[in-house]
Amino acid sequence: MSPLYTALLCTFLPLAAALVLVLVSPLRRAGLAAGLFSVATALIAFGGAVTLLLERWSGAATPVRETVRWLPHAGLGGGAHARAVIELGVQIDGISATMLVVVTAVAACVQIFSLGYMAGEPKPDFGRYFTWQSLFLFSMNSLVVAPNLLQLFLGWELVGLVSYLLIGYWWSKPSAARAAMKAFWMTKLADMGLILALLVLFVDTGSFDWTVTTSAAGAVTLLLFFAVMGKSAQFPLHVWLPDAMEGPTPVSALLHAATMVAAGVFLVVRAFPLFEQAPTTGLVMAYVGAFTALFAAVIAVVQTDIKKVLAYSTCSQLGYMVAALGAGSQVGGFFHLTTHACFKALLFLAAGSIIHGVHSNELSHMGGLWSRMRVTSVAFLVGALALAGVPGLAGFFSKDLILEHVLERGLWAPLGALLVAAFLTAFYMGRVTLVALFGRPSAHAEHAHEGGVSLLAPLVVLAVPAAGVGWLGAKLSGLYAAPVHFHLSPVGMVATGLALAGLGLAYWMFGAPQGGGRLRAAFAPIGRLARSGAVNARFAWGYGVLGGVSSIFAWFDRYVIDGLMNGLGYATLALGARLRGLQTGRAQDYVYVLVAAMLGVGAYGAFWSR
Amino acid sequence: MPFLESHLLGVIVAAPFLAALALLFVSPTRPGAIRAISLVGALVSLAGSVHVALGYDLARGGLQRAERYPLVPSLGIDLSLAVDGWSVSLLLLTGVIIVTGVLASWTLTDRPRDFFVLLLVLVAGVFGVFVCQDLFVFFLFYEIAVLPMYLLIGIWGSRGKVPAAGPFAFVWRRFDVGGREYAAMKLTLMLLVGSAAILVVILALYSAAGGSTFDLQALARARFPRELQLWAFPLLWLGFGSLAGVFPFHTWSPDGHAAAPTAVSMLHAGVLMKLGAFGVIRVGMLLLPEGASYWAPTVGGVAVINVLYGAICALTQRDLKYVIAYSSVSHMGVVMLGAATLTVDGWNGAIYQMFAHGMMTGLFFALVGLVYDRAHTRWVPSMGGFARQMPWVASFFVLAGLSSLGLPGLAGFVAEFLVFLGAWQSQHYVWALAGVLGAWVTAVYVLRVGRDIFFGEGPRSDEIHHLTDARRSEWGALWVLGACLVVFGSYPRLILDFIHVATLEYLPRAAGAASALLEASR
Repeated sequence: MSPLYTALLCTFLPLAAALVLVLVSPLRRAGLAAGLFSVATALIAFGGAVTLLLERWSGAATPVRETVRWLPHAGLGGGAHARAVIELGVQIDGISATMLVVVTAVAACVQIFSLGYMAGEPKPDFGRYFTWQSLFLFSMNSLVVAPNLLQLFLGWELVGLVSYLLIGYWWSKPSAARAAMKAFWMTKLADMGLILALLVLFVDTGSFDWTVTTSAAGAVTLLLFFAVMGKSAQFPLHVWLPDAMEGPTPVSALLHAATMVAAGVFLVVRAFPLFEQAPTTGLVMAYVGAFTALFAAVIAVVQTDIKKVLAYSTCSQLGYMVAALGAGSQVGGFFHLTTHACFKALLFLAAGSIIHGVHSNELSHMGGLWSRMRVTSVAFLVGALALAGVPGLAGFFSKDLILEHVLERGLWAPLGALLVAAFLTAFYMGRVTLVALFGRPSAHAEHAHEGGVSLLAPLVVLAVPAAGVGWLGAKLSGLYAAPVHFHLSPVGMVATGLALAGLGLAYWMFGAPQGGGRLRAAFAPIGRLARSGAVNARFAWGYGVLGGVSSIFAWFDRYVIDGLMNGLGYATLALGARLRGLQTGRAQDYVYVLVAAMLGVGAYGAFWSR
Repeated sequence: MPFLESHLLGVIVAAPFLAALALLFVSPTRPGAIRAISLVGALVSLAGSVHVALGYDLARGGLQRAERYPLVPSLGIDLSLAVDGWSVSLLLLTGVIIVTGVLASWTLTDRPRDFFVLLLVLVAGVFGVFVCQDLFVFFLFYEIAVLPMYLLIGIWGSRGKVPAAGPFAFVWRRFDVGGREYAAMKLTLMLLVGSAAILVVILALYSAAGGSTFDLQALARARFPRELQLWAFPLLWLGFGSLAGVFPFHTWSPDGHAAAPTAVSMLHAGVLMKLGAFGVIRVGMLLLPEGASYWAPTVGGVAVINVLYGAICALTQRDLKYVIAYSSVSHMGVVMLGAATLTVDGWNGAIYQMFAHGMMTGLFFALVGLVYDRAHTRWVPSMGGFARQMPWVASFFVLAGLSSLGLPGLAGFVAEFLVFLGAWQSQHYVWALAGVLGAWVTAVYVLRVGRDIFFGEGPRSDEIHHLTDARRSEWGALWVLGACLVVFGSYPRLILDFIHVATLEYLPRAAGAASALLEASR
């Protein structure tokens, strides 16, 4: 099959699966069969993606780009703009092939995991869940293979929709319904930047391509970055991501850790030629990214809900990627995206397995799982160490690459923030691991046990890349840029040292029951602040303001604008009532008026008209 | 059938009329026959519209299938029908909406015969406006479409809660604000004032063009003097605009849509409001290009108010129908915004928005009717958790909502995107910004009201029981409209190619005037 058809298959097969599940009610309500059907299509898509990557891997294939006209367009004025077209299509090169493999692999693992994790759901809901999963795979793949920013935007909005649907999967829970809405609002607010960027770019260049040279690069990239901040949860638009954990855990793994939230980073990677034209935007990104990395890491330290720790950790790691891209390292950002997808999906699924065993998200309800859930624990440990940046595992390579680039650019403040964040990352992952796996078992954890094969197999499969994908860095980067050769740099050594120190501190504080009491006390205020929901309060405040403005407008419309219209009607009636008094019906009244009028006319004719 | 083929437009317009006539001879006690006849009348029009679309020669473009029947030869009034790309798309819209509207009122029990007669007469008028090429007859059809609304709302309407307050509270106590007679009266009076303005302009154009013809093509070639254009265009804009919900003449719309029965709301918001916008473009902008380009910034500015103001007002409404009605005010602003850009993309977007919004709001009002039918209330705060009993209604509501907030893949996005592109090209950056912001506010209120009705915990009022999902004929309306949103949203060229052909032909007149104006101002 030609690469074009393989890419189309990867994209549209999941769509077909979703449509079949929507339209064929018996299949959707059949429970396990619906899930297996969806999993099968995801696996086929994964196979297709692997073929595409291998073709590029062997160095034989050239990039593929095919487009069709989506909307008719008359062109913009004269010159080159006269040929402006609005197209959709497929572009397969090193970047999209790599991303396709990442997305389909994680999606397939998550779907298989869900077969076991969601098994207790009512059958129709189970089918609905897999419908959305398939729809997600379609949306994400259409974003990944996009040949231009317009299609990327279409996929971008669709993944936002699926995120809304999946966060709100348990819609009868008010908190889930609210979290779904909030996530959609926040990302949609940010997406205004993307749509405006499209307008600016198109009117300036007559094209949605990211390869064009534009005089408005600064405006376009800043607007794009605004959208990225929403999607990839950069401060201060990150507030929706922790709430998004209301969705089922496999959803968090797929959408809110590995793939969908990385779409923002992916956009910058794809549109890198545009971003290279705007150095200022790069600077902004480096600072925002580094600040988010640090800020979210601090909050992650004090979370007590295992999913919230991982959620803030995702924010923080996305900050790394954004900072890398801001520092001008396309490879650094994209490679960290790849490694992060592997180990964060692994961590979330392992957390899901733990939650499945313990029936709680709270760290204090866990403990002692190492002896009760050995496979899950090993998987979690691998993911945690990879995230912490332990040498040899995936996170080590990509983080090193990022720090080197930031140092090269001389961005000292971001570098400092990222180094501290590296320390904190190791610390909070050490904390979670020690408390959940090795801590004193709580009452909940006494009876914890492993789930079925469908829960464990994805963990085992994902643990392999989480541990080893770092070694492929040179080859992967060679698919779309000059290959990077890894060597342990001084800054990398510092970061590794800090990471190990973080793990050590965590061990000192949480490994032994008595250790680090004073330090814990020192962290307490941060914990209170982070858990008090100060940021959420802002959000509620913003919504309150919007509601207030709306009430004023609605009142104005109802009682002033409409009042004026009604007032006009009323005035007409009232006028009619008054004028009715003129029609007295008495002949002498009419004669008075007649005579007066005649005199008036006569006087006018006699004195004034000549 | 050569007769049908050569008189197809006449048949499309006449079919609902004839069905209405036939209904007069059916006993009011046989609702089955009444519904069947109405459905047949609607289906004939729909089938004809589809046939017209399939047979339209895109390569040739222009007016096709011309039919001409002299009415008053001495005054130059002909019943002259023809379709261009715009009419094709709007015929399809009207056909789909009337068929689904009949399906949605399948269970109506209160005087069904009279209801369907009026409904069919109304829709015949709508079809007539979209295909007619004679200004006088255009106006005639326009009035035929508007007037039955008075009876339809006044007899079959419902009432909402509107407390008296504010500086005009004394009026509230005098009038029965929120009641159906009030709504019907208000709607009719406001639209009639608009019609009066239109009539003045039509007569002025007729005499300025030599007083021999009402033919739209001939009038378009007439090149009216600049002074006439400058005063006539705003009259047309506000006259037709009152039906399109142009601020501040939109206030009939929330009350009217809220009070109207389901099918009437569907037709009114789905198709009838488009007549107003269509009139502004077809009569105003094509016949008076200089006036249009002179007034375009004003039209666009007011449209911006519509978009944002309607959306913000919708945000805080507690009555479900008012939410959707204000959203119509907001979305019709997008149509006017696109028209005011005087660009190809903007006009394509404006006409496509008529199509997309018609489908979407038709679906919305069908769903609202369903919910009202089951819950016997429109008061959102008393609802909640309805998705348990009516999962499909909830799904379709979310679908319609997503289209209205401009989700790619659904019809609404295409329209809004084109309008924003047009606004940016015409260098009215604020319009585009406002439009984008309006789409976001739409996301806020649509998702919020969806959540309040369908998700979360069970009904907040104890009086709501026996909720059921859609039934038989109601399915038809939901699936047809929902499928249209998806199909025409993912492959917009099915409709947009028609629109594009017509826009390419018509726009140069208006845009030529705009560039001439620009030259003059330098």
